[in-house]
Amino acid sequence: MGVILAIAKTTLGEAVRRRVLLVILLVGVLFLAIAPALEALSPRQELTVLRALTLGIIQLTSAVIAVVLTVYLIPNEIERRTIYTILSKPVRRWQFLIGKYLGAVGALGLMMLLMTTIMLLVFLIMRKVEGTAEIASLAKVPFAFFIQMSLLAAVSVFFSTFASPIVNFFLSGGVYLVGTVFDSFFDVLSKNSQLNPAVKGMASIVHVIVPNFQSFNVQNPAINQLQFIQSEGMFYLGLGVYAFTYISILLIAGIVVFEYREV
Amino acid sequence: MRLKTAQLWGLVAGLAIVQGLVHEAVVFPLWKKNYAVRTDLGNGGLSPDQLLLAFAGFRELIAGILWVRADSFFDDGNFDAILPIIRLVTILDPHQIDVYSTGMWHIAYNFTDEGSRSDRRYVPSAVALGIEGANNNPNTYELFYETGWLYFHKIEDDYPEAVKWFEEAMKRPDVITARRNILNAAYQHNGQIDKAADYLYNLLQESEKRVKSGRDFMASTNRDTIENNYDNLLVRMAQRGYFAKKGGYYQDWDYDTKPPFDVGFSAEVSVVEPKVIRVEGTWNVLPVGTRIRIVLRDENFPHAVPAGMQWYQGPAINLDPPKDETFMQEQLFVKNQRFDRKIDMSRDPLMYPFAQDKYIVEFYYNPRQAPAYIQDKFGWSGEGMTDRNFLNNDVRPGMNVIYTTMEFTRDQLLRQGAWENKVPVVRTKNYVGFGARQLQDQVFKVPGIEPEPDKK
Repeated sequence: MGVILAIAKTTLGEAVRRRVLLVILLVGVLFLAIAPALEALSPRQELTVLRALTLGIIQLTSAVIAVVLTVYLIPNEIERRTIYTILSKPVRRWQFLIGKYLGAVGALGLMMLLMTTIMLLVFLIMRKVEGTAEIASLAKVPFAFFIQMSLLAAVSVFFSTFASPIVNFFLSGGVYLVGTVFDSFFDVLSKNSQLNPAVKGMASIVHVIVPNFQSFNVQNPAINQLQFIQSEGMFYLGLGVYAFTYISILLIAGIVVFEYREV
Repeated sequence: MRLKTAQLWGLVAGLAIVQGLVHEAVVFPLWKKNYAVRTDLGNGGLSPDQLLLAFAGFRELIAGILWVRADSFFDDGNFDAILPIIRLVTILDPHQIDVYSTGMWHIAYNFTDEGSRSDRRYVPSAVALGIEGANNNPNTYELFYETGWLYFHKIEDDYPEAVKWFEEAMKRPDVITARRNILNAAYQHNGQIDKAADYLYNLLQESEKRVKSGRDFMASTNRDTIENNYDNLLVRMAQRGYFAKKGGYYQDWDYDTKPPFDVGFSAEVSVVEPKVIRVEGTWNVLPVGTRIRIVLRDENFPHAVPAGMQWYQGPAINLDPPKDETFMQEQLFVKNQRFDRKIDMSRDPLMYPFAQDKYIVEFYYNPRQAPAYIQDKFGWSGEGMTDRNFLNNDVRPGMNVIYTTMEFTRDQLLRQGAWENKVPVVRTKNYVGFGARQLQDQVFKVPGIEPEPDKK
């Protein structure tokens, strides 16, 4: 465990120092800071628009950071040959992979925490949120986004065990798109009574297999108030279990692939 | 290592089953119920980049950006450009209640001709948008209320629907106290006077409780308003003979609604210029406040009903009304027992295309829409009103209205062909013109301030 944590800590330190990530983060933070100015452009619905914009900025920035952060994790180590130094020590490959992943997720978490804190501070200063219940309702969304991005990072780490960064970027981006765009579509197909059973079967399989990033998009009730949420605790518990299970699948598969890879 | 690898793959397979079960049994159903928005984005007209972002889960972000854009169009007065944005925003994020309510108002009220007459062909789309919004946001009263208000205030002639939507709104716990009073008015407009009285009574009881609890600063004001409304209603029920009718002794006593007053409606429509009509007529009622509806429409206008149309025509929201259909609706205000109005439809060819061969002009007066001081004579359902020629209780079952129609041809309205140099004039058979009628004071007998007749 100590080995994993040591690698995670090093990875986190590296990630925080990477300029490209800091630039993306800075852009996101800047957008968040100036977002309240947009309310002047939208006197009607200003609060709804403001929340939609700020949460959208956090999600979009986090998705880019998650992919950019993780596509280079393994290939960079191989390219710079630092992996030889690490693996020549009593470090197993699976420990290396998990350590890298945890470090990346830690860095992602820190960046998202920073963005969320800025968003809440801006809202509090501008008096756009009142009371702990409203703050909690807003803060829940970036938390769900963090789990979503952790899953996206796991997808990217899995691909990074065998694909180059550029290929990985498009693969991870593609899976993210499919998982958000087409999941409901496949669900609709799988329940369509007029479709060929074979097509329905395929749609069901794809719906179940592809990571469903859409399920982490929980921002709507935070943006539009007055919505009644049923079994929220159960939903978040299920979401956590689902994410943990899927991340485990990807990391185990990544470990197996990485074990056989020549470096 | 081989065995270990096989075990790991087995673990992956096992976890894959677990994630599938958790997702399908718990996560996805709850997400669909609580957080999902509509997915039928294919025909929304989004640009490719917007579509990509929308699909990628940034719907609310795009909806926000679009709404900011729509607002600049509001400021510029570019109303046409706002319509597709409203539709897109409601598709992207169907929980944006203010966009729905603003959209309904905009569609129903803001598309007008040069004379500020609304393009009524849009109203069914506004109704459909309201119903869609209410169905998408069943936890708040707002869009039920807004839909009811559209029927109550804009349409003014489908009060059962107004009552239905207001009742739905009142079932929601977040309804604002002051807005609850509207259902009383809707009940009265719908002829459900007992229900109006019961409703006001219940509101009064609730408001008394709020006043006693001392928690609500506005409670006493609201209580006073309700009490005043309730008092007025009870007095009107008595004076208009409502209780007497229910008790079966209406014929035995004098009430404000007796005897029925002959409104003496007559009208003449002349086409003074192409697409410009002049409407003149008579109306015996002296007090100001009468609004007689005039409709000019295609003879075979789809969904037409007497002096109106079916305002709900299905869930489709058509933001581009058919360019070959004409429907004009206007109110004729009566002053000094006459009305005289020029209606110019020549400047808005998109709104009044006059593409058909035959047209109907309808005159319609419904006492349900009358102000209270006129209703005091006519009653809620026109029992205190009559007309020798045009009293009608078929076009709106259960009430007396004034209704008549005239026919015009396209050539007449466009002043072309045989009518190029002749002024087409169509008038009711009893039309006498202003010169023949002498304005005179009229005294209405008010039984309440006269000595009671010596009856049982």
